[in-house]
Amino acid sequence: MATIANTQAQGETLGRRLAALIPGLLLLAAVGYAGKFIEQSIAAYTKAHHATFPNIEYVLWAIVIGLIIANTTGVPRIFETGVATYEFWLKAGIVLLGARFLLGDVLHLGGISLLLVAIAVSLSLTFMHVLGRAFTLKPKLTSLLAVGSSICGVSAIIAAKPAIDADDEDASYAIAAILALGAISLFTFPLIGHSLHLSDKAYGLWTGLAVDNTAEATAAGALYSDAAGKVAVLAKTTRNALIGFVVLAYALYWSSRGEAQAVGNKAAFLWRKFPKFVLGFLLISLLATIGFFTKPQLTSLANLSRWAFLLTFAGVGLRTNLRELGKQGWRPFAVGAIGEVFIALLTLGLVYGASHYLNL
Amino acid sequence: MSKTNTTAPQRSISLDVYAVALALILALLVRLNLVPPVKW
Repeated sequence: MATIANTQAQGETLGRRLAALIPGLLLLAAVGYAGKFIEQSIAAYTKAHHATFPNIEYVLWAIVIGLIIANTTGVPRIFETGVATYEFWLKAGIVLLGARFLLGDVLHLGGISLLLVAIAVSLSLTFMHVLGRAFTLKPKLTSLLAVGSSICGVSAIIAAKPAIDADDEDASYAIAAILALGAISLFTFPLIGHSLHLSDKAYGLWTGLAVDNTAEATAAGALYSDAAGKVAVLAKTTRNALIGFVVLAYALYWSSRGEAQAVGNKAAFLWRKFPKFVLGFLLISLLATIGFFTKPQLTSLANLSRWAFLLTFAGVGLRTNLRELGKQGWRPFAVGAIGEVFIALLTLGLVYGASHYLNL
Repeated sequence: MSKTNTTAPQRSISLDVYAVALALILALLVRLNLVPPVKW
């Protein structure tokens, strides 16, 4: 009897949790679709009237609409749970994007990305620590900023925080700085890419290597072109795959100083920190390569991935509160900003080098 | 301290796993033609 009552209660809780997601999901869909609608309307108008107007992707419209809502009226609490699912849609979208890659391309571009990521990560980690010391930041805050800016933004900071026993305050400073810089890079990267006349592949690789958060890297890539967005996701996914190794290195460092818990089983630690969506992406890419899907089915999967990203981009805008970001103090932001400029220049140089020497 | 250590990583893992599961289920439905062609 008690078991049946428990099961019923659990079912009700699950039902209530799912119901709580609905308002926010509808808001994500409405904002994302509004972005798509504006892009299509402008394109149709300019075509009908033979007018010239730069094609602004739905990505930018969705982010801007989200930013306006979040920073004027604010997102009412009833929507918050559903809006927070944008990272879930990002990951599902990345897995489905695997359908647009042949495994050979993944290995070729992924291999180049891995090489560049390894160089960029080691140089940028070193640079961030020198910078953190110069700005007299707390060492653990510097570690979090270094992990966030060299690997993968907020996810890396969240993964590293318990591993190095950092304070909540340090983590929120680091997250705020990384989010603010991510928002800036959304608007600056496409402009720089266009002014340097970068190819889709070179720009996508640069964005994937330099922009911190996966959502912002995906958006910054898609803002340039569809092809650039695809490459940006692949490069960023390669970078994400390294998260476990870097966090493990930091955990070992801080525990050797007696300031974090000892790491037990290193393989289990790596597996726990490894982003599982990378495996899903590789699996779908493998299935696409061996002909498991027909061509129309591959198109459907690619379009499903686009719809998932549409929800993500709406969420990026809706979750960015510029006032909150401004409250976090200037020093972590300054260290992050200088570090980001360094990483952007370094990765741009690496991408130029790869274009010439590695048959990019 | 130990509480933070156990909860934070698990939450992020389950999000990944659910996202992968949803994507694979959708891929299977598309493969079996159980959903109409998805347009953009």
